[in-house]
Amino acid sequence: MDILWTVLFAVLLIGYFALEGANIGLGMLLPALGRTQEGRDRIVAAMAPFVLAGEVWLVAVAGTLFGVYPQAEGEVLFGLYPLVVCLLVSWIVRDAGLWFRRRADGPAWRAGWDRMICLGSWGLALSWGAALTALATGLSITPAALAGAAALAALLAFHGRAFASWLLPGGAAGTVATGTTTVATGTTEAAGELSGAVLGGAAGRLPGPAAGAGRGAAALAGTACLAAAPAAALLAGTAPWLLEHTAPADTLNVLSLMILPCAPLMAGAQVWVWRTFGPRRAADRFPSFF
Amino acid sequence: MDVLDLARAQFAVTGSLHFLFVVLTLGLAPLVAVMQTLWTFGGKPVHERMTRFWGQIYLINYALGIVTGLVMEFQFGLSWSGLSHYAGDVFGAPLAIETLVAFFLESTFLGLWIFGWHRMPRRLHLACIWIVTLTAYVSAFWIMAANAFLQNPAGAVERGGRLVVEDFGAVLTNPMLAMALPHVAGAALLTGGSVIMGASAYQLFRRTAEQEFFTKSLRLGVSVASIGVVLAVGFGYAQFGPIGEFQPGKFDSPLAGLGLGFMILIGYLLQLVVLFVLLPVIRWLPRWRWAHPIVMLMTPLPFLAAILGWLAREAGRQPWLVYGRLTVADAMSPGLTPAMITTSLVAFTGVLGLLAVVDYLLIARLVRRGPAAATLGAAPLPPPERTPALSL
Repeated sequence: MDILWTVLFAVLLIGYFALEGANIGLGMLLPALGRTQEGRDRIVAAMAPFVLAGEVWLVAVAGTLFGVYPQAEGEVLFGLYPLVVCLLVSWIVRDAGLWFRRRADGPAWRAGWDRMICLGSWGLALSWGAALTALATGLSITPAALAGAAALAALLAFHGRAFASWLLPGGAAGTVATGTTTVATGTTEAAGELSGAVLGGAAGRLPGPAAGAGRGAAALAGTACLAAAPAAALLAGTAPWLLEHTAPADTLNVLSLMILPCAPLMAGAQVWVWRTFGPRRAADRFPSFF
Repeated sequence: MDVLDLARAQFAVTGSLHFLFVVLTLGLAPLVAVMQTLWTFGGKPVHERMTRFWGQIYLINYALGIVTGLVMEFQFGLSWSGLSHYAGDVFGAPLAIETLVAFFLESTFLGLWIFGWHRMPRRLHLACIWIVTLTAYVSAFWIMAANAFLQNPAGAVERGGRLVVEDFGAVLTNPMLAMALPHVAGAALLTGGSVIMGASAYQLFRRTAEQEFFTKSLRLGVSVASIGVVLAVGFGYAQFGPIGEFQPGKFDSPLAGLGLGFMILIGYLLQLVVLFVLLPVIRWLPRWRWAHPIVMLMTPLPFLAAILGWLAREAGRQPWLVYGRLTVADAMSPGLTPAMITTSLVAFTGVLGLLAVVDYLLIARLVRRGPAAATLGAAPLPPPERTPALSL
C-alpha cells in the first residue's frame, strides 16, 4: 500500500509539471508571444480552460503530502519556507491576473493584469526550480538553487512554447492578422492565399497542416516529459526517504477506500478537459471568460 | 507580538478571508445550479440570463476563495509543522481526501463549466455545475471533519508520542461535526440568498429596466435566505449540547464570548426580518420601493455573523490546537523566526487583502451594471466569412 501511494504521489507531482508546467511556461512567454493586446487575448483565451484543471495537481500534491507523508510534510514545507512563500505569492498573482484581466474595461487594466500573469508565472518557475534544487541538496538553500531556478525556468518556457504552437498552430499574432485579413475584402490574391493557408492550417483543413497538428502534439508530449524530468529525478532519489515517512497502514487504508474509487472520475475529467478545449479554430468564436 | 502571536494572526487573517469568500461560494453554487436547471428544462430566456449573471458573480467571488485556500493549505506546513508531526496520521486524512476527491473534481469541472458554454451538450454542461456544487459541499464536509477533530479528537489514540487512527468512523461521526456542518451550510445559504436579495433590491430601487429578472431574483433570494436562517439558527443552538459535553467553558474567554454573543444577535435579527417581515410579503416586496434600502443594508450581516461564528469556534479552543492533546504553542514549527513569520504575514495579508478589495469592487461593479454586462457564457460570434475566396 505504501508503494502504491508513493506511485500516486509521483503521478500527481509529475502530472503537475507536465500539465500545469505548460500554463506556467506560456504565462512566462505571454509578452513575447503576444506582442499586441489582441495577441495576448488569444493566447490567454486558448490556455484559460486548462488552468483550473492544471493547478489542482499541486493542490492534490500538497494534500497527499499531508495525508500520506505527515512526518515529511512539515519538514519539507518549513525547510523551504522562503521558497514556499515566494511560490504561493507568485501563484496568487498569476491567478489574480487570469481571473481579473477581463473583469473591467480599458486597455491599461488588461495590460496590467497581463504583466501580473507573466510576473507570477516567472515567480512560479523560479521558486520551483530553487525548491527542487534545495530538496535535492538536502533542504539547504545554496547558490546552486539559482542555477536550478534558471534551468527549470528555461525548461518550462520551452514547454510553454510547444503548448502555444499546439494550441495556436498559426501563431498568436499570425492568426489574428489573418482573421482581420479575411474580413477586409481588399486584400491581394497573394495575401488571400497566404491567409487561406494559415487559416486552413489552424482549422486542420489541409492535409499538410493536419499532420503539423499531430507533430505539435508529439512535440508537446516531448516537452512535457522534459518539464517533468527534474521532479521525476528528484522523486526517484527521495523515494526511500518518503517511504520511511509514510503514514501507518490504517491511515493509508482509509485514504485508499475514500480516494481510489474516485480516481477514474478524476482522470476522466482531466481527459475531458484536454479533449474539449484542444486546438480547434472554432474556439476563436467563443468570448473567453479569462 | 511574539512569533506565536504573529503565526496565529496570519492564520486568523487568511482563514477569515478564505471563509468570507467560501461562505458565499457555498451559498451561490446551488442557486446557480437551480437557475441553470430551470433554464435547461424550462427554456425560459430569463433563467438563462439569471444563470449567467449570478454565475458570474459566483465566479468572481470564487477566484479569491481559491487563492486564499492555497495559503491555508500550505500554512499548516509553514507555521504549524508540529500539528502534522503529532496528529498528521489522523488529521492529514480528511485534508488529503478533501483535496483529491472534492477540490480536484470541483476545480476541474468548474473549468469545464466556465469554458464549456456553447461548446458541450447542454445537459452535460448542466451536469458540470451540479458536480461543482456537490463537490463544494463534500469539501465543506471534509474540512469541517478535520476541524471537528481539532475540537474533539475522537477516533484517535496516542501511540509512541503521536496520534494514530483507531476508529475512522468516529472521526466521521464526531459530535462536534454533526451539528456544525448543517449550521455552516445554513449560514452559506443565508449569505447567498442575502447577496441575491440585496443586489436585486438595489437594482429595483434604481427602477431598473430588468423588472422581471430582479423580481424573480429577489423572491428567490428571500426564499433561500429563509431556509438558510432556519438551518443556521436551529443547528447553531443544537451545537450547545456537544460543546457543553466536550468543551465546557469554551465561551468563557472574552474573544470567544463576544464572537458568540454578537453572532447570536445578528442571527436573531436576520431571522426576525427575513422570516417574519420579508417572507410573508414576498409577493409584494419587489414593488415596495421604500423597503429596498432595508434589504440592501442587510447584505453584509451574514458575512459578519460568519466571521464572528468562526472566531467563537476557534478562539474558544485556545490554548489547544488539538483539544486536550496538543497546544498551539507546541504545534508551532520549531525554528520559526520573527523575520520569517513577519515577512510571510505582510506578503500574504498584503496581497490577499488588496485582491479581496479589488474582488468586492468588481462584484459591486457587475451588480451596478446589471445582467447585460455579464460576459460569462456570452453567445458565440458568427463564423468569419471567407471573403477572399469569394473575391477570387
